[in-house]
Amino acid sequence: MPVATAPVAIDVTELESAAMSTPDGEHDSSPTTTSDAAAEAADAKRALFEEQALPFMDQLYAAGMRMTRNPADASDLVQETYVKAFAAFAQFTQGTNLKAWLYRILTNTFINTYRKKQRDPYQGTIDELEDWQLGGASSATLSTTSRSAEAEAIDHLPDSAVKDALQKVPEDFRLAVYLADVEGFSYQEIADIMKTPVGTVMSRLHRGRRLLRELLADYARDRGIAVPAPTTKGTKK
Amino acid sequence: MTDCGCDKAKAELEEYLHNELARDDAADIREHMKTCVDCSSELHVNVVMTEAVQRACRETAPEDLRLQVLSKLRDLQATH
Repeated sequence: MPVATAPVAIDVTELESAAMSTPDGEHDSSPTTTSDAAAEAADAKRALFEEQALPFMDQLYAAGMRMTRNPADASDLVQETYVKAFAAFAQFTQGTNLKAWLYRILTNTFINTYRKKQRDPYQGTIDELEDWQLGGASSATLSTTSRSAEAEAIDHLPDSAVKDALQKVPEDFRLAVYLADVEGFSYQEIADIMKTPVGTVMSRLHRGRRLLRELLADYARDRGIAVPAPTTKGTKK
Repeated sequence: MTDCGCDKAKAELEEYLHNELARDDAADIREHMKTCVDCSSELHVNVVMTEAVQRACRETAPEDLRLQVLSKLRDLQATH
């Protein structure tokens, strides 16, 4: 259930300035100006954050890899996400979905910094493309036999082929597929994370999965695995 | 529970796959899948693809990153 995802809205600008105000100097020794009680409270707060948020690091890193496509940027993105999340941790309502909250910060950060750098020419127009412009054929005309051949082929593809295919799916579609299929977020949660209506999530997911399926079949065919291509005309099998 | 027929099963296959359907609708589709080879083979391709994506996307964060984050958090705490 997408309980209370609304109240966790993060003001990114505010977070950014919070993150920027962090000096890089050494702060190892406890400041003498802080009382012991305050220091203890700060320790407890950090310990709680670490205990709750750090277990998601592998998942956030995996998402970051699919977003930025390289380990260095993915690491930077995850680090920035944790810094922002820690700075805003007081605004997080305990008992609500921390994973979805972290993904929101991750996605926000990615969109606001990395996407600008990458300047994907598709951005902003991809949702408006018609299905035929995106390529990918309908599977409705496939026979049961060719579907089992297709399933078999997909099942045997190496991970690298699946990752390559995913990278070829336009970013917004890829992200929707990732959040639904890998992370298991609900459509409403994905809508909150990507800040789009649920209808847009459904359309992106549908188109992303259709494209991915076609790309995987292409890949299998290139490697000599027989995957029958669906007929594009509406002839019944 | 009633068999919903191929049209509904195909149209709602993705929502079914993602557990987005109301319980009754999901039950209707599940019922249909039991008897329709055509729709269940389509569902199977979709399930296999989802599993392939899950498998391919598994990553372990580098140990360096973990250490960097921990030290960043300590720095941050010291400034608050």
